Formats: sequence, C-alpha cells, structure tokens
Amino acid sequence: MNTATLAETHELAATTVHASALLAISTSLVACGGGGGGGTAAPPATAPVASIAPNEAARFLLQAQFSASDAEISQVQAMGFAVWLSVQVNAPASTNGWDWQIAQGYNSSTAVNSVVPADHMMWQQLIISSDAVRKRMALALSEIFVVSSTGVPIPSRSLAVAQYWDTLVSNALGNFRTLLGDITLNPAMGVYLNTKGNQKADPVAGRVPDENYSREVMQLFTLGLYELNLDGSLKLTGSNPMETYGQNDVTQLARVFTGWDYDPTGSVAVTNPLSVKSPMRLTASLHETGASTFLGTTIAANTPGAAALTQALDALFNHANVAPFISKQLIQRLVTSNPSAAYVGRVAAVFSNNGSGVRGDLKAVLTAILLDAEARDTTLLNSPTWGKQREPMLRLVQWARTFSSSSSNGQWLVGDLSDPATRLGQSPLRAGSVFNFFRPGYVPPNTVLATQSLTAPEFQLTNESSVAGYLNFMLSTIKNGFNAANGGLAAPAYSAELALVNDPTALLARLNLLLCAGQLSSATVSSITTAIASISTSTATGQINRVCAAVLLVMAAPEYLIQK
Amino acid sequence: MHHNQIKQLARRAFLQRAGQLGLAGVAAPWALNLASMGEAAAFSATDYKALVCVFLYGGNDYGNTLIPYDNTNYGYYNTLRTGLQIPQASLTATALSPTTTLPNGMQLALAPTLAPLLPIFNAGKLAVQLNVGPLIQPTTLAQYNAKSVPLPPKLFSHNDQQSVWQSSQAEGATSGWGGRIADMALSNNGNATFSAISVTGNAVYLAGQSAAAYQVSSSGPVAINGIKTNVYGSAACGAALNSLITQTRSQTLENEYNKVTARSIAAEQLAAGAFSGTSPFSFTSTNPLSAQLHAVARLIRANASLNVKRQVFMVSLGGFDMHDFLATQHPPLLGQLGQALQEFYDATVSMGLDRQVTSFTASDFGRTLASNGDGSDHGWGSHHLVLGGAVNGKNFYGTAPQISVTSSDQVGQGRLLPSTGVDQFAATLASWFGVTGSELATVVPNINNSSVKNMGFV
Repeated sequence: MNTATLAETHELAATTVHASALLAISTSLVACGGGGGGGTAAPPATAPVASIAPNEAARFLLQAQFSASDAEISQVQAMGFAVWLSVQVNAPASTNGWDWQIAQGYNSSTAVNSVVPADHMMWQQLIISSDAVRKRMALALSEIFVVSSTGVPIPSRSLAVAQYWDTLVSNALGNFRTLLGDITLNPAMGVYLNTKGNQKADPVAGRVPDENYSREVMQLFTLGLYELNLDGSLKLTGSNPMETYGQNDVTQLARVFTGWDYDPTGSVAVTNPLSVKSPMRLTASLHETGASTFLGTTIAANTPGAAALTQALDALFNHANVAPFISKQLIQRLVTSNPSAAYVGRVAAVFSNNGSGVRGDLKAVLTAILLDAEARDTTLLNSPTWGKQREPMLRLVQWARTFSSSSSNGQWLVGDLSDPATRLGQSPLRAGSVFNFFRPGYVPPNTVLATQSLTAPEFQLTNESSVAGYLNFMLSTIKNGFNAANGGLAAPAYSAELALVNDPTALLARLNLLLCAGQLSSATVSSITTAIASISTSTATGQINRVCAAVLLVMAAPEYLIQK
Repeated sequence: MHHNQIKQLARRAFLQRAGQLGLAGVAAPWALNLASMGEAAAFSATDYKALVCVFLYGGNDYGNTLIPYDNTNYGYYNTLRTGLQIPQASLTATALSPTTTLPNGMQLALAPTLAPLLPIFNAGKLAVQLNVGPLIQPTTLAQYNAKSVPLPPKLFSHNDQQSVWQSSQAEGATSGWGGRIADMALSNNGNATFSAISVTGNAVYLAGQSAAAYQVSSSGPVAINGIKTNVYGSAACGAALNSLITQTRSQTLENEYNKVTARSIAAEQLAAGAFSGTSPFSFTSTNPLSAQLHAVARLIRANASLNVKRQVFMVSLGGFDMHDFLATQHPPLLGQLGQALQEFYDATVSMGLDRQVTSFTASDFGRTLASNGDGSDHGWGSHHLVLGGAVNGKNFYGTAPQISVTSSDQVGQGRLLPSTGVDQFAATLASWFGVTGSELATVVPNINNSSVKNMGFV
C-alpha cells in the first residue's frame, strides 16, 4: 500500500465515505496481510497520514469499540480512521461464547437450568475479546434483535443464549439477509418469540398459528411501524404517517413461521445439546400449506416450508424501510441519539447498495456510520444536543478494558448486573423484553429534550434509583473490583495511573483522554484535579485512593456520561 | 386595579405556586411557567388520597383471568382454548357471586390462584371492570372493520399499547393520565416531588405536564454513598462529586442527567425516613410485586411527614406475554398478583386508610380467546380489577363479552373490542381522586366522546 492511497483514505474519512473505495482498501489490506492482529495489529510501515489529534482518535475508538488505549490511539493516528477500521473489520472473530462455556464446564447438570453462565460469558466476551469492533457491533445488534436470557426457560438455556450471541457476532460484519435468516431459525429466538413448536392452524381444535415472531420481525427487526423515506423521515399522506402493515399481514405472515422446531440430530442432553445450537428444522406436516398474502407478497399454496421462509424473509429484506430503520438505530447505538436526516440517509444508501450492488452489507454500514462526516465533525462537540448517554453496561466494560481488570481464574463470575438500586441497572442480553432496555423513540418526559421533540433512548434507564445505584456500584468496583476473590472483576493494578499519581494534572489528562476523548470541560478537570490533590500520597493506600477517586469522579462527570 | 397591581399579584401568585411546587422546582424549573400552573387546578383537599396503578406488562390473558363458570359458557371456553383450559371443577371455590348478576346466566370465576382476592370481592371492596381498552370514541365492529371512526394508534403492539393505555398516545408520548392527575394535585402537596412515584421502571403514565415521576426502589430511595460519607476517605472528593453530578450544564443531555441526580439526592433525604425502622406491614419479600407495594405502603404511611395530600403511584409485574407456556406460567403469575394486592389492601386497612387508597390493574392489552396451542396472542380489550375501601365492589361494571370468536364484541380470534374506553375507566378514578368534570378532558382527552363519564365503581 502506498502513501497516496493512505492520503486518499484520510480524505474519505473526512467526508462521506464511498463504500466501494472502502471495499478496495479492505481488499488490499487483506492482500498485504494487514488483517491479522485484531486489536493489537501493528500499523503498516508507511508514512503517517494527515494529523489526527489524540482526542479525535480516542473519540473515534470509543464509538467504534469499547475503549481506547494509548497504543490504539497511536495506531489510529498513524493509520487514519478508515485504514484502522478496515483492519479491525477484517480481523477474525475470537473465541466464541459456546466454546467458552463448554471449556468452563457449563454443559453440566448443575448448570443446565441456570442462565447465569451466559452473564459470565458476556462479560468475558465484551471485556477481553481481541475483536472489539466486531463485538461492539454485535452488542448493538443485540439491542435491535433482542433475545433476553430471562425469556429462554429451556434446558441448556445458557448455551442457547451463547449460540444466539455467536450468531450475532458471526453475522455482525456480514450481510443483513443472512443475519435475518440465521436469527429466525436460531433456537433461542425460536423459544423467545415462539417460532419453535409453532404449528399450522387446526380449525377443529380452534388453534391458530402463533403471531409473535410474525409481528416482531416486522415491527422490530426489519420494517418498523410506519413507512419511511431513505433518510428515516416519515412518509406522509396528507399529514398522516402510513402504517407499514396491518393485523392481517401479521396473521398471514404467521402462517409462514409454522412447522419449525429443534433439530435434535446428534444432540446429547446436557453435555452436547446441539438441539439448542443447530438451526431449527422443518416438519412439513406441521407447516401451513395454504397460500399466505402479506405486504403485497403472496406465497403460493403448497410452497415447501423452507422455500416459503426464504420468500418471506426476502420480501422483508427488500422492503424500502429496512435500510433507514436499521441504519438509524445503529447510529443511535454507536454515535448519537438524534442523527441528522442527511446522516441517516447517507448510511441507509450504503445499506441499500454498498457500491458493488450488494444490499445489507453490515461491514459497509458500520464503516459508513463511523467514517461519516457527522460522526467525525468536531464542531458538534459544542452542540447542546448532539451525542448520546453512554449505556451503563458500556461504562463498566470500558472501565475494565481501560484499566485491564480481568478475572483471576478466567471464570468471569460477574453475573447479572441488572438491579438499578445496587448494580448497573443494565446487563448484556438481559433486556426486559424484546423491546430492548429502551426504545429508539424514547423521549424523556418533563425535559427540555421533550420540548424539542428529541429522543434520548438510554434515558429510559435513568431515574433517581439508577443514577445512585451506578455511582455506588462504581465507588466499590473501581477500588475493589467486583466479586474479585471468586474470579469476577479484579481490582486493577492501575500501574500507568500510579506512575502519575504525584502529578494530578497529568493523571487527569490521561483519564480525560482514555475515558472521555478529552471531552471533560476545563472546569471539571480543574475541580477534580484540586479534589484529588487533597488526598495524601505518602502511603501506598493514599496513592491508590487518589487514582481511584480520579477514576470515579471522571466516570461520574456529566461530560463522561454523555458521549459526544 | 391598574396594570402594575395585576402584574404584582400575578408575580405573587407565581411565587406562591412555585413554593407549593416545592421540589418540582429542582426537577423542572422551565416547567414553572404560569401556563403550566394554570392547568394545575387546586383540589384544596384536606384529606389524603392515593391512586395506585398495578401495570401487568406483556398483556394479561383475560380469558384465563376471569373464566366462565356456568355450563353453557364454560363449554364455549373449553372448545376455544385448546391446551389452555382450567378445569371447571377447580373454579368452584373462586366463582363470583356479584350483587347484580350478569345477563343470560353468565357466571365468571376468578382464576384459582387469585383466591386471595375473593374475600375482598365478597366484602364489597373489589370491583371488576369488564372489557376495557383504548378507544377514541365508542366503536362498533362494523365501524372498526370499515375504519369509519378514529381508532387508537398501533393496536396489538406491546410498546405502543402500553403507551396508549397510559397516555392515549403511541410510543414517544411525554405525559400520561396518572401524571396529568398529579399535575392537578401539585398545589395540594407541600413536596411536589412525591406527587407521582414509581417503584418500577420509567413509564409515561406518571409523567405530567409539570409533575415528574419520582423513582424509589422496593427498599426505598437509594442514597449516594460517595456523598453521604466520602470518596475513599476524602471529604474534598465527596464535595467535588456532589458538585459534578448536580451542577447545571449547558449541554442538554448532560443537564437532564444531572437533574435526575440532583432530584435523587434531594428527595432521598426526605423519603429515607419512611423506610427506616421495622415495617409494621406483612408483605412477601420474594414476590416482586409485593415488595413494590410494600414500598408504596411505607410511603403512604409517611404521607404526613412527606407533606402530601394526593399521590399517584405505579408498580408493575412483568411476564404476561404468554404466547407459550400459558397453562403452566400464567397461574403462578396471577398468584403473585393476588397475593400482592391482598397484602396491600390489608396494609391500607391496618393504617385506617383503606377508603383513601384505590388500586387498579392495567395492561398492554387483552389477548386472543383462541388458543395458539400453547398460549394466546395480542388482543385489545381486557378485564381489570379495582380495589380499595372506597370501591363499590362485589360487582361487575361494563358489558360482559360473549365467549366467542365470531360475536360482534370482538375483532377476530376473541380479541375484544372494548365496550368501555380507558378514558372512561381513568375518568372514574380521577373523579374519585378529586378531578372535577370540567378538568377531566385535560386528564383523558377522549372522555367527551362518551356519554358515560363515570363507571361508578368507585
């Protein structure tokens, strides 16, 4: 790769990215072996691109993944946003959740009815995976295509949840259509939204097909409720929005999702429960044989079940709503709660066509989101409404990764952190329902945001209990780790921070860069610096207390909580 | 009176009202304008009243909550609910004998696991509102099919119907009828913060134009340890923490987050007392709804020290979206509901406040009467319970739907077409609470489309 290419790449980063150009970059990197190292990939031996400030690099990293290290900031500065990202998105996936749980021995009779191993697995996956960009995207997808581990009451439930997570991870940078097909036949999803065991109508018994998956696959996974323009704005007739589907579409589409159940081939209960891993299989005699008409598509009578499913999912995938509906939510998860219509439109255009005629290329979509001019525009740091609240689970993952808090025995016994009064009020894959922890359209009542008709999804988790619970949890965890003695999160050594402990200004500068991409105000920096300087560092205890107090105050600061 | 005097009086009234709004000022200073306070009509109440919403998330299955018991209707039920039936014999103990019997010999029984509520029904303190759901105006099946009258938005969708039930608007609504009732109570309450209290997650039901929902956990308000004591031994860092998390910010999201924290700290100092000492009440701690209602009981008990006369509460129980496993999972869930409601009613009796506390159930929607083999699907109208000492109980209100998937009181598969609107249900509760007839439309915007504005159950 030559310097000219890299310079072009950086120019692309500063403007709307063109997907085909990116594809070319990705290809060339793979060709020169640049995709091998994951999060620790060495920068290619080329001249640096036009200067990227450390704060800008950190800001980019905190949108693209969970954390920013000194080394990663240097890499982004050296490689440019686009090249660094292309390395990451082409890196191989690290250990998957299923294999990790098996290695931990959770395929045992004592674990068969417990979902807590899936919690441990998720913290492990989010905190030490080398493929952090892929995992970040998968986590965002888990908040759109929701399976909550609380709603999978089956034997080997933790492994079923692991397989669902692995399905999201393996498709996170693949194609949306494949993802849609894979989650539809995933056993955990089959249990959660009732496709598993769903049967054709029985007029004699008065039984009708279950409508749950049919409704939610349209409302939440593909179309949304109202017809959208490519930029995410509502299509109107007169002044009224147009509904994408009606109850009859739900009832008709439900007929397609009949006849599916576990595939028990090779499955051994408890020890090797492949029935919760393999895609569900069709029993033709339980599948609806009549014609089904929905969204203007008719699946002919007697179409075999697998073909009917393909036709139905193709129809959903090709609906004009999918690109803006999914693109906007991914922007909300990764970058800002209220993206401009133009930003949504640019990303949705890449969803519709990655530049090579491919629809639903999620790698291209993620790249478009992160390299978009609006995502990179530093003037928006001064906007009163741009940005998003950092989700509580992301704050903990960021802390653990930034300060290398790990599990002493590799078991990651962190568990469920959902209690808002004493924990984080959020835990991965534990949403209260298929509607996620919060809705993309949530408007916090009694706020200036409401008067401005602005959404702030994460604020659905924010209340008088949860704000206090978070601060108390972090007060304890920053100093002591969490369940550290049993192999939960260890108390970090904070070596790099302790090295700066007698220079509070430098300590704060480091934390401001790594945790906040330099977004703390000078007043906040000054206030924290003064406060921590009052802690004596004459003892080792005083030194660690000063570092921990600095970390806590930064993670409590409003400029940290709102990521811009 | 000349102009300056008017301005002066207005200013005095503003300050007075602002004072009455108390902590709401901490929460929402921008809301303290004369326009919003104009809506906050005073109840001038001297007594205490509380309204408690028990929201059943997921859409409760009406068909297995109130089950036909007479032979004819049980027969229809038995035919329609393949795989879901509760045996007729097991309904004998909970068959209801209302003061006014239902037409055509229909008898209904509570689900067996709701048995704890039977004595309260028989004592006349529990009423059943039949087939209630969101409506813009009274609607017939022909009108529904022809779409010739306005219909509630996004029927059958969970998140939207939760929102419609609570606010009359789909997802994205910013005020609900509980909060709008609380708006009217603000001037009655010395501490406006405690006018609308949630012991469950954020929900639009409790948000008013001025009133903001205040959250406590089941075990009470959560103190911030770094402020209560210090940060790793440092008082200076505790003070810095206090300043950072409560300061006004120019960035809107930052400011909104800090406002929640500031309200959390201020209210905790006032509400903590309600949770100190041994509770005089008996609640089952392993029942999550009981735990929430226990917190409500403790707050009600402290109403004098919290300086409130009118309070709107919200608690919830989740897990009702039973497309599957209905036969095995619905009964124990209703068991939790029955136990918690009975414990809460007993707590209000023990305080001598049973006539001043009215509780009611609500849910996303009812479900289909038709079985999908292992459960039921999203519906519309449903039956709901109202209980308290002021309730005109031991009776059914509204119109009993037929046990049918073809009758004109359902829109297919036994999805009930509501015969009573949520606005009528809410208006009845609001009227008991003290909202006057002319103010009802502020609380429930569609009420004037109905000739019956009070169902009479309380």
